[in-house]
Amino acid sequence: MATQTSYQRPLSVKVRKFIEQFGKHLLIWVVALFFFIPFIWMVSTSLKVKTDVGRFPPNFLPRENKTIAIDGEEYPLFTLSTAGGGQEVVAVMDYEGSEAVVFDPQYPAETRKVPQAQLSEILIVKFRWENYRDALLRASRPGLDVNFFTYLKNSLIIAFFSIIGTLVSCTPVAYAFARIKFPGRDGLFIFVLATMMLPFQVTMIPLFKLFNETLRWGDTFLPLIVPTFFANAWDVFLLRQFFKTIPSEMSDAARVDGANEWQIFTRIIIPLSIPVISTIAVFTFLWAWNDFTGPLIYLQSHQNFTMALGLQDFQGQREILWNQLMAASVIFTVPIIVAFFFLQKQFIQGIKLTGGKEG
Amino acid sequence: MAQTPVLEHPAKRTRRRMTRMERHNLLVGLAFISPWIIGFVVFTLYPMLASLKYSFTDFTGILASKQHFFANYQMMFSDDRFWKAVVNTLYMVLISVPLNLIFSFLCAILLNFKVRGQSFYRVIFFLPSIVPAIASTMLWIWILRPDTGLLAALLNFIGIDGPNWFLDPLWAKPALIMLGIWGIGGTIIIYLSGLQDVSQTLLESAELDGANWWQRLRNITIPMVSPITLFNLITGVIVMFQYFSQAYVFAKFASIGKADIIVGRPMDSTLFYSVFLYDKFTNFRYGYASAMAWVMFLVILLCTVALLKVSNRFTYYAG
Repeated sequence: MATQTSYQRPLSVKVRKFIEQFGKHLLIWVVALFFFIPFIWMVSTSLKVKTDVGRFPPNFLPRENKTIAIDGEEYPLFTLSTAGGGQEVVAVMDYEGSEAVVFDPQYPAETRKVPQAQLSEILIVKFRWENYRDALLRASRPGLDVNFFTYLKNSLIIAFFSIIGTLVSCTPVAYAFARIKFPGRDGLFIFVLATMMLPFQVTMIPLFKLFNETLRWGDTFLPLIVPTFFANAWDVFLLRQFFKTIPSEMSDAARVDGANEWQIFTRIIIPLSIPVISTIAVFTFLWAWNDFTGPLIYLQSHQNFTMALGLQDFQGQREILWNQLMAASVIFTVPIIVAFFFLQKQFIQGIKLTGGKEG
Repeated sequence: MAQTPVLEHPAKRTRRRMTRMERHNLLVGLAFISPWIIGFVVFTLYPMLASLKYSFTDFTGILASKQHFFANYQMMFSDDRFWKAVVNTLYMVLISVPLNLIFSFLCAILLNFKVRGQSFYRVIFFLPSIVPAIASTMLWIWILRPDTGLLAALLNFIGIDGPNWFLDPLWAKPALIMLGIWGIGGTIIIYLSGLQDVSQTLLESAELDGANWWQRLRNITIPMVSPITLFNLITGVIVMFQYFSQAYVFAKFASIGKADIIVGRPMDSTLFYSVFLYDKFTNFRYGYASAMAWVMFLVILLCTVALLKVSNRFTYYAG
């Protein structure tokens, strides 16, 4: 008895451990599917032909009608079910009302008419990559020389200058709040943080008037770019938290050697802050890339639209081409996913910092 | 260690004149923060005051404005659509925000399990949150389509006839809530880092004392992440008051085939506060829209202060 229990025990522990692990994986997967399936669906739809998009019930693998080439022409293949219960493969040449003109692929010359109801498509899995080309080159409005490349270019320009503006303006401000002891500094810093609470709607209308009427910047990128050159509370906070962690001995030593604040800031602090600077660059890019309300308010003509505006404009047309729309959505999303995989650490750090975790 | 004489009595400092060093620091400091000061005055302070002024006038952007004091506020509070927008927004604040918090917390617990492939799972849970809002809204519109949508197919499969999310005013908001839950990755990460800070020794000693999984969760983990819950709650409420893009695009889709695009479709069920405000803005009702913005600002302030006050009783701060 005693030997038996001591022999069985590790096994049962192992089994319990295995079941526990299996249960955990299962539980995680059930939830993971909710997050993952829409992704797959977006990619899958983007690779479908038009007839496959509307198929119900839907399928995940993009499928196309199998075709046969005869004399340089492609004819779709169908299965014809005859009254006697037999089946044969036919190619469809034309449709006439409820009937279809079909022929046997072996004898292309002999055509006959059969009811369409007796035909069912022969489907093969096929990815239609052309959707991506079509989505990019698709003219958004007839007559205008605007396509998705235009939107892509506009989004990149705005994101690029927003990153420059944010970095150039936020770093010195954050440096002063972290390192220069001037009277009233801490009170002012709390005030800076308080401005984060202000909803943009409060300043929206006067800013709209200022940019559109006073400065005449309507329908340009300037209202979206220029404000980034004047520091924002969120990034100032992030940078300040980081600057505070840099040991002050270094700047003190430089000060003894006769360096002024500007030299300490540019030669010592900035080079040491590359991690946080890249985090902020990533988040500014995300913010500019995703921004919808700003462009919606300020940009009117299609040649100035950003990706976000262009994407929702897809549905302004009479018929929505869902496969192309999903292809465009994938194109819109991919830069961010790529950025995420290269800069995972910065992403996570940025989110945690917003959560006040390392503050 | 020799101490540098930086610390002085605060009362003494206020009365004394600034030293040469302090004056120098003040000038240098102000020079460094000048981008913020200019930006604050031009892009925040002036527009704030201007919109406060507009809110007391019938300013339309074109016509000369005349003072009419609280007329906008009176009009607003007696406007049925305004109240509709308030109720819709409260619906989201009271249902969507708590659901997001609960679901993120549960996901964080799952992702904190010590299993193989943990980092892979984390990426999967996180990815939807970085999909641009407009792209994810378009994707979900496509999934929710009642005729050919993926969800309709899934519901059909288990024998349920799915609702028309775009025509039925009862189901439009649940659709948006689902879309919101899909993108909670950021909140999950914040919770996850909180869970990693929960004291392991405390959990282990509780286990030794015979506390089961639920008791440990209830009495140790949840109280220890309560500051994070508070943070997520406050930001969630603030964000929800400004909820706009998804609702705007959703209503635009629900308007397809209709003569004009009307915000809030179907039947004003997605008419949220910011959507209504934007509608007033595009119709040149600048005074009205400014009044709405200020009311929103005050409500957000009140909510935040109230949440912070109430939370003192419920949150636990280590150390």
